[in-house]
Amino acid sequence: MRRRNSGPFLRQRDGSYGLNMALDVRELLVHMFGELRDVLTQGESDDPMLRRLFPAAYHQDPELDTEYHGLMRGELVASRLAAISRAVEVIETDATLSPDDMVLFMQTLNSLRLLLGTLLDVDEDDDAPRGSDDPDDETAAQHHLYAYLGWLLEGAVAAFQLPGGNRAEP
Amino acid sequence: MNTDEAVDVDTDTDKPWVVIVWNDPINLMSYVTFVLQKLFGYSKEKATQLMLDVHHKGRAVVSNGSRERAELDVYRLHEHGLWATMQRDDT
Repeated sequence: MRRRNSGPFLRQRDGSYGLNMALDVRELLVHMFGELRDVLTQGESDDPMLRRLFPAAYHQDPELDTEYHGLMRGELVASRLAAISRAVEVIETDATLSPDDMVLFMQTLNSLRLLLGTLLDVDEDDDAPRGSDDPDDETAAQHHLYAYLGWLLEGAVAAFQLPGGNRAEP
Repeated sequence: MNTDEAVDVDTDTDKPWVVIVWNDPINLMSYVTFVLQKLFGYSKEKATQLMLDVHHKGRAVVSNGSRERAELDVYRLHEHGLWATMQRDDT
């Protein structure tokens, strides 16, 4: 049956959200989220692949930055792992997403893009898949995946409705 | 509303730290705008302007306040995947 809304995330009348994704997409995401979890739990802390997931906080002061990361890195890893777990749980149980779940899902999709984008060394013009016509380009599939994750995240942002009554501009 | 204004005035007198978001080629413009709205309660217009400053000028100051407040803001921005740092406000 043809669905009326073709976006990957659907906002429900009650303010919750539902996944509008085919089974193979769900399986792909569970697989990729698992890989992200592995990198976060098994990767070396100084791995350049992780530099965008754990950027410097004090860019002008290495000493303060070391202190900051000593205190906060573990918390950031735990936060990312919790987001991954919830995103996987939502997919595997076909659960409805609360607004908080949507944010966790978006954070996880974005973490994947940061990891993949760093691996591929993307630049500002990499919105479209690159090298897809070259059968010898081993990164073509990864570029496609990177673009697809971007499409999913765009869909999530488009579907998400921020709570009303935003604070006025400072 | 008066209470909010009073808080803002107090904050204005004590701004030793600023939080900066830097341009990067990975984060989506729409996602950056969304995060700025969500974390700081900025209007769509304000968040979009800050995002465009990041995109075109390479960076934008998105918040300011005490060191503790700036660290919390940086942490939450990192949690959402934005490239954020903090520094003393020299302006």
